[in-house]
Amino acid sequence: MTDMKTDFRSARAGEREVLTPDLVHKIEERFRHDLQRSRHRRRAQRLMLNIAGVILFLIVWEIAPRVVPGVNLQMFPPPSGVVGTLWDLIVSGELAGHAWSSLKRAIAGFVLGSTAGIVVGLLTGRLMILRDLSDPVLHSLRSIPSIAFVPLAIVWFGLGETPKIALITWGTFFPVWVNTFIGVRDVPNIYVRSAASLGASPAGVMLQVVLPAALPFIIAGLRQATAVAFVILVAAELVGASSGLGYLISFSHLVFRVDMMFVGLMALGALGFLADTLFAASLDRIFPWYGAEAR
Amino acid sequence: MRRVARGSEAARSSDRGDVSERPDEGVVAIEHVSKLFPSTEGESTWALLDVSLSIRDGEFMCAIGPSGCGKTTLLNLIAGFIEPTHGELRFDKKAISGPAPERGVVFQEYALFPWLTAQRNVEFGLKMRGMAKAERRERAHEALILVGLADAARRYPFELSGGMRQRVAVARALVNHPRILLMDEPFAAVDALTRASLQTELLRIWEEIGITIFFITHNIEEAVYLGDRIVVMSPNPGQIQETVEVGIARPRNRSELEFGRLYAKVNGIFHRQGVSAS
Repeated sequence: MTDMKTDFRSARAGEREVLTPDLVHKIEERFRHDLQRSRHRRRAQRLMLNIAGVILFLIVWEIAPRVVPGVNLQMFPPPSGVVGTLWDLIVSGELAGHAWSSLKRAIAGFVLGSTAGIVVGLLTGRLMILRDLSDPVLHSLRSIPSIAFVPLAIVWFGLGETPKIALITWGTFFPVWVNTFIGVRDVPNIYVRSAASLGASPAGVMLQVVLPAALPFIIAGLRQATAVAFVILVAAELVGASSGLGYLISFSHLVFRVDMMFVGLMALGALGFLADTLFAASLDRIFPWYGAEAR
Repeated sequence: MRRVARGSEAARSSDRGDVSERPDEGVVAIEHVSKLFPSTEGESTWALLDVSLSIRDGEFMCAIGPSGCGKTTLLNLIAGFIEPTHGELRFDKKAISGPAPERGVVFQEYALFPWLTAQRNVEFGLKMRGMAKAERRERAHEALILVGLADAARRYPFELSGGMRQRVAVARALVNHPRILLMDEPFAAVDALTRASLQTELLRIWEEIGITIFFITHNIEEAVYLGDRIVVMSPNPGQIQETVEVGIARPRNRSELEFGRLYAKVNGIFHRQGVSAS
């Protein structure tokens, strides 16, 4: 940033006498070019630091178990002890298989739960009768940790896909509902009045005004729900499953393969990170106005 | 532009003839209207008490008064956002029962939908009323030309200056071809230079399309510059103090003697000193 500024200044200082249109154009060109370059540099720098951070973390992880006294390398394997297992699991396709079956469950539950959350949030946020009717019940249910329902889900739905999806649906519903509700309740009255005076029907106001106006809140709820989905997913898979990353971790426990457990944990971390990054990246594309006022 | 765009609504213009034949009832008739609001600590206050007013067809009426005088309440009643506690409001001889596109509103704060581009903001009302895409695009484009913002059609509100946003807000209301435009301190949030140019623009549009305007302001100079008549209101309870006819020909010049005289007159009423220059 700084050297770009000085570049620009020196260009002006050197040719200060006559500011011809040609020169103005040249200065503009230079300025734009420098601006672009500094942006590229910033992006490259960020990527490099990101990578450096990961490498630093791996180095610390590699060294720590060796230098800290009393640590068993079987119990706390360094990256060098995990990378072989990771490679084996990747090559055999096992890791991808587990990741995919976890992802399928998470997505199915997330879609169902957040759709219900948005619909119920819109209705309870907008209709006073429904709000007052549902408030005590929904808030009581919300305060029960979703993981507490795992045994019940197994009793009800068995060990197949249904209990996992049902649990994730249940767990993702609440953060999406609460956030949507708050967003809808706090939609500026001026938007609703504008729409009404422009000829919008109540349904039109709901879908074309209240929903988009509440979107920043809904998005916050969805983001929270992605994290919740992973928590419940693993909890459900730890107990009764024959595939999935949670299953991989619990299986590794049975056969006492801590290195394999680490692979499962790393895969979960990578998946969560990927989900959140995709989420953030798609926001700017789908909603160019989102957060623009603050920018 | 007005004539072309209004062609499809010929029925309405015969109504207008009707109204002008009956000078006793304007396009908006407000009769003995009072509005009680709950205030803090369970008390209640009269935002308006026994207010009667008639807005003539095609006139530019300004309402001015200190905060709490009920001018915004009056606008909200005409818009149909709220109902009077007592009294009657009629628009075009029919009781006002809710908001409708025939009564366009421009708010003080930025009420444009931030998730829509300028073009789509203007199209909104037409879309809500089921107009086909090609037609509403065309009409929104015309409205944006009218307010001088055809080039900004694809920008989002956050990419527009305050003055530009209010122009889009005017276009958004006008695209529905309202009979009356209700404006609640629309230029209060913009800088003085922009405000002056917006005022001139508004007068040009008003003259071009022959609409009725009810314009709230707290700026005496703005009221004298814009209005055919100025309603001066007073608070506690909200009432009309006096209605002043501004007989100055347009374009008005703020440095003229007559302008200053009217300014002083309104200012006198405003401060309840009973000053009357006439």
